[in-house]
Amino acid sequence: MARHCETFDHTADVGLAARGDTLGELMEALAEGLSDVLCDRSRVRPTERRPLTVEAEDVEALAVDFLSAVLLAFEVDRFLVTQARVTKASETSLTAELAGETYDAGRHDLKTEVKAVTYHQLRIARESGAWSGRVILDL
Amino acid sequence: MARGFEGKIEQVDANRWRIPRASQPGMRVDGVIYASSALIGDVIDGGGPAQVANVATLPGIVGASLAMPDIHWGYGFCIGGVAATDVAAGGVVSPGGVGYDINCGVRLLRTDLPAADVRGRLKELVAWLFRDVPAGVGVGGPFKFEKGPMRHLLAEGVGYLVAQGLALEDDRLVTESSGCLPGADPDAVSPEAYRRGRDQCGTLGAGNHFVELQEVEEIYDAPAAEAMGLEVGKVTVMVHSGSRGLGHQVCGDYLKTLRSAPAEYGIELPDRQLVCAPVESPQGRQYLSAMRAAANFAWCNRQLLANQVRKSLAKFFGQSQASLGTRQVYDVAHNIAKIETHDVEGGRRRLCVHRKGATRAFPAGHPELPARYKAVGQPVLIPGDMGTASYVLVGTEAAMRQSFGSACHGAGRVMSRTAAIQAARGRQIDKELAAQGIIVKARGRTGLAEEQPAAYKDVDAVVECVHAAGLARKVARMKPMGVIKG
Repeated sequence: MARHCETFDHTADVGLAARGDTLGELMEALAEGLSDVLCDRSRVRPTERRPLTVEAEDVEALAVDFLSAVLLAFEVDRFLVTQARVTKASETSLTAELAGETYDAGRHDLKTEVKAVTYHQLRIARESGAWSGRVILDL
Repeated sequence: MARGFEGKIEQVDANRWRIPRASQPGMRVDGVIYASSALIGDVIDGGGPAQVANVATLPGIVGASLAMPDIHWGYGFCIGGVAATDVAAGGVVSPGGVGYDINCGVRLLRTDLPAADVRGRLKELVAWLFRDVPAGVGVGGPFKFEKGPMRHLLAEGVGYLVAQGLALEDDRLVTESSGCLPGADPDAVSPEAYRRGRDQCGTLGAGNHFVELQEVEEIYDAPAAEAMGLEVGKVTVMVHSGSRGLGHQVCGDYLKTLRSAPAEYGIELPDRQLVCAPVESPQGRQYLSAMRAAANFAWCNRQLLANQVRKSLAKFFGQSQASLGTRQVYDVAHNIAKIETHDVEGGRRRLCVHRKGATRAFPAGHPELPARYKAVGQPVLIPGDMGTASYVLVGTEAAMRQSFGSACHGAGRVMSRTAAIQAARGRQIDKELAAQGIIVKARGRTGLAEEQPAAYKDVDAVVECVHAAGLARKVARMKPMGVIKG
């Protein structure tokens, strides 16, 4: 499995730049990258699994909707993701399972408040057989 | 990270620069950026001018696509941007022109406390406030608004809190739009947004939000300062926060709803983040009614935060709020879209004015001003960085003619968060500030590094530019004493 996510700089915010051999791997890398911005992911245990299905009109909107759902799980239920697994992915629909646990102030370290996943300079593309993506988060 | 600007930009006068309409295809009006020669370098390196040009392509835009001197690169619209569209001419509303933090804004309280008396106990006082004010990532507050009460809060704004005994009528009167935008529709707000907002009204959040104790250092306009109750040497308290998760969710929901609108209305956009719909379309109307609900939530949020600050101060000093003289000076929104009437090319027009990182700056005599400020103009509250200063200004007639009654909203970032963290490596920002007599406390590990003074433009230069351009007139400069951050 070849996937990777790192952050890049944006004046007031931060971006995720990720790649994966498949679209599913790219989405997994982005979701885990988002979790790395929110918290110290290494301290989150995979005690709970949450299914997630997202549909959108194109692959870029799909990425925003998927990551927004990951963010919403934290915002509403305090659910932190340690691992994302995409079981089915097309350019307009995605089924995934998020492994993680509910935030515990005693054990978890929250890093940054993420307001939203933006469409600004959003790019999800397949290049020479692999998928890459750039998404800017509003902090 | 310098990005530069490939397009044409020309100097108009000492404080204005123009991107001519003809210089880029699709621009319907000129771009006009307020900046002095001291600021223009950072403005161009910051990447904002290309966004000013992009916004100039929006259907129905009138006057010019404007940017204040605190302009920096945002998502879609720049921060520091002002864009007005003509409602009757198919003008659009764009959620990106408001931003995710709907009605992010600033509230200022004045007190009778002499700064000299507070200084001896400052460390203790900052720790006291830090304990009392809910702040930080994932931190809820003492208030829970279930669906029923939340519907009232979203529809009625601060007026609802007055009815509940959680706000004074006097606070409501000195809040922009009296703390309530009419036309807010609680049904236009999604269940997810209700869930995110449930325990967040009265919480500061993280990022650049803060509660700051300040000392009034200098008064430039005595009658205006007197109307606001500002005196040299006295303590003021500034609260900077917005609509929290509820507003972020509303923006995200409607960016999604509006994804199909540009194709439906034949609008071509240079950036997906600029999605928009005509104000007079079902999508445009629905977004505006949800945005107004989120704006009302934000005013209530700052109200409950200010209540907490007042209570904490009274308890700390063992005096009543009345004897401390903690009174609200004003509350302004700096991320909002409002329907306002302005003079355009000799006629009165109904405009949708987007202010994204820009503050309304209405002049003396404007019918929307409360009685207290009718003679002096609307207070314009400008927070600076935590090591330098913040300002109070008042709106002017010139702002009505030039910028749809708008001025800047802060200092504006120059350094990215990552660059700021790198610049802070090996340093202790809190100790550096303490050496200047400023006590800061933050919950997050990286917050102080990200928000260090060097991450921002020189607020004095930004305010000087706005003052010299005539968009707002300086009233008072406050220097920071103690800062609480999420």
